[in-house]
Amino acid sequence: MQALLRDPTKEMYGLELSDETGLQPGTAYPILLRLEHEGWVTSRWEDVDPRAEKRPARRYYRLTAGGAIQASAALAGARRPKGAALRSLAGRGGVA
Amino acid sequence: MMPGLDSPKEARRKQRVRVVVVIGACAATASAAVDGSRFNASWYWMPWVLGLTAIVVFTGVAMAISGDLPRGRGRGSGSLRASGRDDDGPVAVATYRWRMLVMVSRMMPGAAGRRWLAEAESLLSEIAAARRGAAIRSYLLSAPRLVLMMWAQEVLRRARPGPRRPG
Repeated sequence: MQALLRDPTKEMYGLELSDETGLQPGTAYPILLRLEHEGWVTSRWEDVDPRAEKRPARRYYRLTAGGAIQASAALAGARRPKGAALRSLAGRGGVA
Repeated sequence: MMPGLDSPKEARRKQRVRVVVVIGACAATASAAVDGSRFNASWYWMPWVLGLTAIVVFTGVAMAISGDLPRGRGRGSGSLRASGRDDDGPVAVATYRWRMLVMVSRMMPGAAGRRWLAEAESLLSEIAAARRGAAIRSYLLSAPRLVLMMWAQEVLRRARPGPRRPG
Protein backbone atom coordinates (compact mmCIF):
# COMPACT_ATOMS: atom_id res chain seq x y z
CA MET A 1 0.00 0.00 0.00
CA GLN A 2 2.84 2.34 0.91
CA ALA A 3 4.49 1.49 -2.39
CA LEU A 4 1.40 2.64 -4.27
CA LEU A 5 0.91 5.64 -2.00
CA ARG A 6 4.40 6.96 -2.63
CA ASP A 7 3.11 8.32 -5.93
CA PRO A 8 -0.63 7.63 -6.25
CA THR A 9 -0.67 8.72 -9.89
CA LYS A 10 2.04 6.24 -10.88
CA GLU A 11 1.06 2.87 -12.28
CA MET A 12 3.02 -0.14 -11.05
CA TYR A 13 3.06 -3.69 -12.36
CA GLY A 14 3.27 -6.93 -10.42
CA LEU A 15 7.02 -7.44 -10.40
CA GLU A 16 7.65 -3.80 -9.54
CA LEU A 17 5.24 -4.01 -6.60
CA SER A 18 6.76 -7.29 -5.49
CA ASP A 19 10.23 -5.70 -5.47
CA GLU A 20 8.99 -2.60 -3.65
CA THR A 21 7.12 -4.48 -0.94
CA GLY A 22 9.44 -7.45 -0.56
CA LEU A 23 6.43 -9.74 -0.90
CA GLN A 24 6.42 -12.78 -3.15
CA PRO A 25 4.23 -12.23 -6.23
CA GLY A 26 1.85 -14.99 -5.18
CA THR A 27 1.37 -13.24 -1.84
CA ALA A 28 0.91 -9.79 -3.32
CA TYR A 29 -1.66 -10.87 -5.92
CA PRO A 30 -4.54 -11.73 -3.50
CA ILE A 31 -3.94 -8.43 -1.68
CA LEU A 32 -4.13 -6.46 -4.92
CA LEU A 33 -7.20 -8.40 -5.97
CA ARG A 34 -8.95 -7.60 -2.71
CA LEU A 35 -7.98 -3.92 -2.93
CA GLU A 36 -9.31 -3.83 -6.47
CA HIS A 37 -12.52 -5.51 -5.38
CA GLU A 38 -12.94 -2.86 -2.67
CA GLY A 39 -12.37 -0.13 -5.25
CA TRP A 40 -9.13 1.15 -3.74
CA VAL A 41 -7.07 0.10 -6.72
CA THR A 42 -7.71 -0.02 -10.42
CA SER A 43 -5.81 -2.07 -12.96
CA ARG A 44 -5.40 -2.43 -16.71
CA TRP A 45 -3.47 -4.52 -19.19
CA GLU A 46 -0.54 -2.83 -20.84
CA ASP A 47 -1.30 -2.02 -24.44
CA VAL A 48 1.69 -3.52 -26.22
CA ASP A 49 2.36 -6.09 -28.87
CA PRO A 50 3.93 -9.05 -26.99
CA ARG A 51 5.75 -10.17 -30.15
CA ALA A 52 7.36 -6.79 -30.67
CA GLU A 53 8.25 -6.42 -26.99
CA LYS A 54 9.30 -10.09 -26.72
CA ARG A 55 7.47 -10.37 -23.41
CA PRO A 56 3.83 -10.72 -22.33
CA ALA A 57 1.85 -7.59 -21.51
CA ARG A 58 2.00 -6.38 -17.93
CA ARG A 59 -0.93 -5.69 -15.65
CA TYR A 60 -0.61 -2.19 -14.22
CA TYR A 61 -2.11 -1.16 -10.87
CA ARG A 62 -2.86 2.34 -9.62
CA LEU A 63 -4.61 3.73 -6.56
CA THR A 64 -7.98 5.32 -7.22
CA ALA A 65 -8.68 8.79 -5.80
CA GLY A 66 -10.88 7.32 -3.09
CA GLY A 67 -8.43 4.50 -2.52
CA ALA A 68 -5.56 6.92 -1.92
CA ILE A 69 -7.55 8.75 0.78
CA GLN A 70 -8.69 5.53 2.41
CA ALA A 71 -5.25 3.99 2.22
CA SER A 72 -3.67 7.02 3.89
CA ALA A 73 -6.26 6.89 6.64
CA ALA A 74 -5.84 3.16 7.08
CA LEU A 75 -2.07 3.43 7.33
CA ALA A 76 -2.33 6.29 9.80
CA GLY A 77 -4.83 4.26 11.83
CA ALA A 78 -2.54 1.25 11.80
CA ARG A 79 0.30 3.32 13.25
CA ARG A 80 -1.80 5.10 15.89
CA PRO A 81 -2.66 2.22 18.26
CA LYS A 82 1.00 1.35 18.70
CA GLY A 83 1.87 4.93 19.66
CA ALA A 84 -1.15 5.19 21.94
CA ALA A 85 -0.29 1.92 23.64
CA LEU A 86 3.30 3.03 24.23
CA ARG A 87 2.13 6.34 25.67
CA SER A 88 -0.30 4.51 27.94
CA LEU A 89 2.44 2.18 29.15
CA ALA A 90 4.77 5.12 29.69
CA GLY A 91 2.06 6.85 31.75
CA ARG A 92 1.81 3.80 33.97
CA GLY A 93 5.56 3.57 34.31
CA GLY A 94 5.74 0.47 32.11
CA VAL A 95 8.14 2.06 29.68
CA ALA A 96 10.90 4.41 30.68
CA MET B 1 -6.04 -6.92 -24.01
CA MET B 2 -4.83 -10.07 -22.38
CA PRO B 3 -2.00 -11.73 -24.21
CA GLY B 4 -3.07 -14.85 -26.07
CA LEU B 5 -6.00 -15.44 -23.75
CA ASP B 6 -8.97 -14.72 -25.95
CA SER B 7 -10.19 -18.24 -25.43
CA PRO B 8 -13.75 -18.91 -26.50
CA LYS B 9 -16.13 -19.64 -23.65
CA GLU B 10 -17.42 -22.50 -25.69
CA ALA B 11 -14.14 -24.41 -25.47
CA ARG B 12 -14.08 -24.04 -21.72
CA ARG B 13 -17.68 -25.13 -21.41
CA LYS B 14 -17.01 -28.18 -23.57
CA GLN B 15 -14.09 -29.17 -21.39
CA ARG B 16 -16.22 -28.91 -18.27
CA VAL B 17 -18.86 -31.06 -19.94
CA ARG B 18 -16.18 -33.63 -20.84
CA VAL B 19 -14.98 -33.78 -17.22
CA VAL B 20 -18.53 -34.23 -15.96
CA VAL B 21 -19.19 -36.94 -18.56
CA VAL B 22 -16.01 -38.84 -17.59
CA ILE B 23 -16.82 -38.67 -13.89
CA GLY B 24 -20.42 -39.68 -14.58
CA ALA B 25 -19.35 -42.56 -16.80
CA CYS B 26 -16.93 -43.83 -14.17
CA ALA B 27 -19.57 -43.62 -11.47
CA ALA B 28 -22.20 -45.32 -13.68
CA THR B 29 -19.80 -48.12 -14.68
CA ALA B 30 -18.77 -48.79 -11.12
CA SER B 31 -22.36 -48.62 -9.97
CA ALA B 32 -23.48 -51.06 -12.69
CA ALA B 33 -20.67 -53.47 -11.80
CA VAL B 34 -21.72 -53.44 -8.18
CA ASP B 35 -25.41 -53.84 -9.03
CA GLY B 36 -24.64 -56.84 -11.24
CA SER B 37 -22.76 -58.60 -8.50
CA ARG B 38 -24.24 -60.62 -5.65
CA PHE B 39 -23.66 -57.60 -3.40
CA ASN B 40 -26.80 -55.80 -4.36
CA ALA B 41 -27.13 -53.78 -1.20
CA SER B 42 -27.43 -50.42 -3.09
CA TRP B 43 -26.44 -47.60 -0.73
CA TYR B 44 -24.07 -49.75 1.25
CA TRP B 45 -21.74 -49.73 -1.76
CA MET B 46 -22.02 -46.04 -2.47
CA PRO B 47 -18.82 -45.10 -0.57
CA TRP B 48 -16.94 -47.68 -2.65
CA VAL B 49 -18.40 -46.32 -5.88
CA LEU B 50 -17.51 -42.77 -4.92
CA GLY B 51 -14.07 -43.88 -3.72
CA LEU B 52 -13.36 -45.68 -6.98
CA THR B 53 -14.47 -42.65 -8.96
CA ALA B 54 -12.25 -40.41 -6.86
CA ILE B 55 -9.28 -42.71 -7.50
CA VAL B 56 -9.91 -42.67 -11.26
CA VAL B 57 -10.19 -38.89 -11.30
CA PHE B 58 -7.15 -38.44 -9.05
CA THR B 59 -5.08 -40.74 -11.26
CA GLY B 60 -6.19 -38.85 -14.36
CA VAL B 61 -5.28 -35.51 -12.82
CA ALA B 62 -1.92 -36.84 -11.60
CA MET B 63 -1.18 -38.18 -15.09
CA ALA B 64 -2.15 -34.86 -16.61
CA ILE B 65 0.21 -33.03 -14.22
CA SER B 66 3.10 -35.37 -14.96
CA GLY B 67 2.39 -35.08 -18.66
CA ASP B 68 1.69 -38.80 -19.16
CA LEU B 69 -1.58 -38.15 -20.94
CA PRO B 70 -1.29 -38.01 -24.72
CA ARG B 71 -1.24 -34.49 -26.12
CA GLY B 72 -4.63 -33.28 -27.24
CA ARG B 73 -6.31 -34.99 -24.34
CA GLY B 74 -6.64 -34.02 -20.70
CA ARG B 75 -4.78 -30.89 -19.68
CA GLY B 76 -3.63 -29.81 -23.09
CA SER B 77 -7.00 -29.70 -24.76
CA GLY B 78 -8.58 -26.89 -22.81
CA SER B 79 -9.49 -23.35 -23.69
CA LEU B 80 -6.01 -21.99 -23.16
CA ARG B 81 -4.64 -24.39 -25.73
CA ALA B 82 -7.54 -23.69 -28.03
CA SER B 83 -6.70 -20.01 -27.87
CA GLY B 84 -3.28 -20.65 -29.34
CA ARG B 85 -1.33 -20.49 -26.08
CA ASP B 86 1.72 -22.69 -26.09
CA ASP B 87 1.30 -25.59 -23.68
CA ASP B 88 4.69 -25.06 -22.17
CA GLY B 89 4.06 -21.47 -21.08
CA PRO B 90 6.92 -19.02 -20.63
CA VAL B 91 10.15 -20.44 -22.05
CA ALA B 92 12.02 -20.10 -18.77
CA VAL B 93 9.44 -21.90 -16.62
CA ALA B 94 9.70 -25.66 -16.21
CA THR B 95 6.91 -27.37 -18.12
CA TYR B 96 5.55 -29.35 -15.20
CA ARG B 97 5.41 -26.23 -13.03
CA TRP B 98 3.64 -24.32 -15.78
CA ARG B 99 1.16 -27.15 -16.10
CA MET B 100 0.45 -27.00 -12.38
CA LEU B 101 -0.26 -23.29 -12.67
CA VAL B 102 -2.61 -23.96 -15.59
CA MET B 103 -4.43 -26.64 -13.61
CA VAL B 104 -4.81 -24.31 -10.64
CA SER B 105 -6.11 -21.54 -12.90
CA ARG B 106 -8.83 -23.89 -14.11
CA MET B 107 -10.10 -24.30 -10.57
CA MET B 108 -10.83 -20.57 -10.53
CA PRO B 109 -13.85 -18.89 -12.14
CA GLY B 110 -13.25 -18.50 -15.90
CA ALA B 111 -12.15 -14.90 -16.40
CA ALA B 112 -10.47 -14.63 -13.01
CA GLY B 113 -8.46 -17.81 -13.65
CA ARG B 114 -7.34 -16.61 -17.06
CA ARG B 115 -6.28 -13.27 -15.63
CA TRP B 116 -4.36 -14.92 -12.75
CA LEU B 117 -2.53 -17.16 -15.20
CA ALA B 118 -1.76 -14.30 -17.59
CA GLU B 119 -0.37 -12.20 -14.74
CA ALA B 120 1.71 -15.13 -13.51
CA GLU B 121 3.03 -15.68 -17.03
CA SER B 122 3.87 -11.99 -17.42
CA LEU B 123 5.68 -11.85 -14.11
CA LEU B 124 7.53 -15.15 -14.47
CA SER B 125 8.84 -14.18 -17.87
CA GLU B 126 10.45 -11.05 -16.41
CA ILE B 127 11.58 -12.16 -12.96
CA ALA B 128 15.23 -13.08 -12.32
CA ALA B 129 15.93 -16.78 -12.77
CA ALA B 130 17.11 -17.13 -9.17
CA ARG B 131 13.76 -15.88 -7.86
CA ARG B 132 11.55 -17.75 -10.29
CA GLY B 133 11.20 -20.95 -8.27
CA ALA B 134 10.18 -19.08 -5.12
CA ALA B 135 7.71 -17.00 -7.13
CA ILE B 136 6.04 -20.10 -8.58
CA ARG B 137 5.86 -21.67 -5.12
CA SER B 138 4.24 -18.52 -3.77
CA TYR B 139 1.65 -18.64 -6.54
CA LEU B 140 0.86 -22.27 -5.80
CA LEU B 141 0.80 -21.80 -2.02
CA SER B 142 -1.58 -18.85 -2.19
CA ALA B 143 -3.81 -20.61 -4.73
CA PRO B 144 -6.21 -22.49 -2.40
CA ARG B 145 -7.14 -19.32 -0.52
CA LEU B 146 -7.35 -17.42 -3.77
CA VAL B 147 -9.63 -20.02 -5.36
CA LEU B 148 -12.03 -19.75 -2.42
CA MET B 149 -11.87 -15.95 -2.48
CA MET B 150 -12.50 -15.78 -6.22
CA TRP B 151 -15.44 -18.15 -6.09
CA ALA B 152 -16.92 -16.21 -3.18
CA GLN B 153 -16.59 -12.99 -5.19
CA GLU B 154 -18.03 -14.69 -8.25
CA VAL B 155 -21.05 -15.97 -6.34
CA LEU B 156 -21.66 -12.52 -4.83
CA ARG B 157 -21.24 -10.88 -8.22
CA ARG B 158 -23.78 -13.20 -9.80
CA ALA B 159 -26.19 -12.82 -6.92
CA ARG B 160 -25.99 -9.02 -7.03
CA PRO B 161 -28.63 -7.39 -9.22
CA GLY B 162 -27.71 -4.76 -11.76
CA PRO B 163 -24.99 -4.52 -14.40
CA ARG B 164 -22.12 -6.98 -14.05
CA ARG B 165 -18.56 -5.83 -13.63
CA PRO B 166 -16.08 -7.25 -16.12
CA GLY B 167 -13.86 -9.97 -14.63
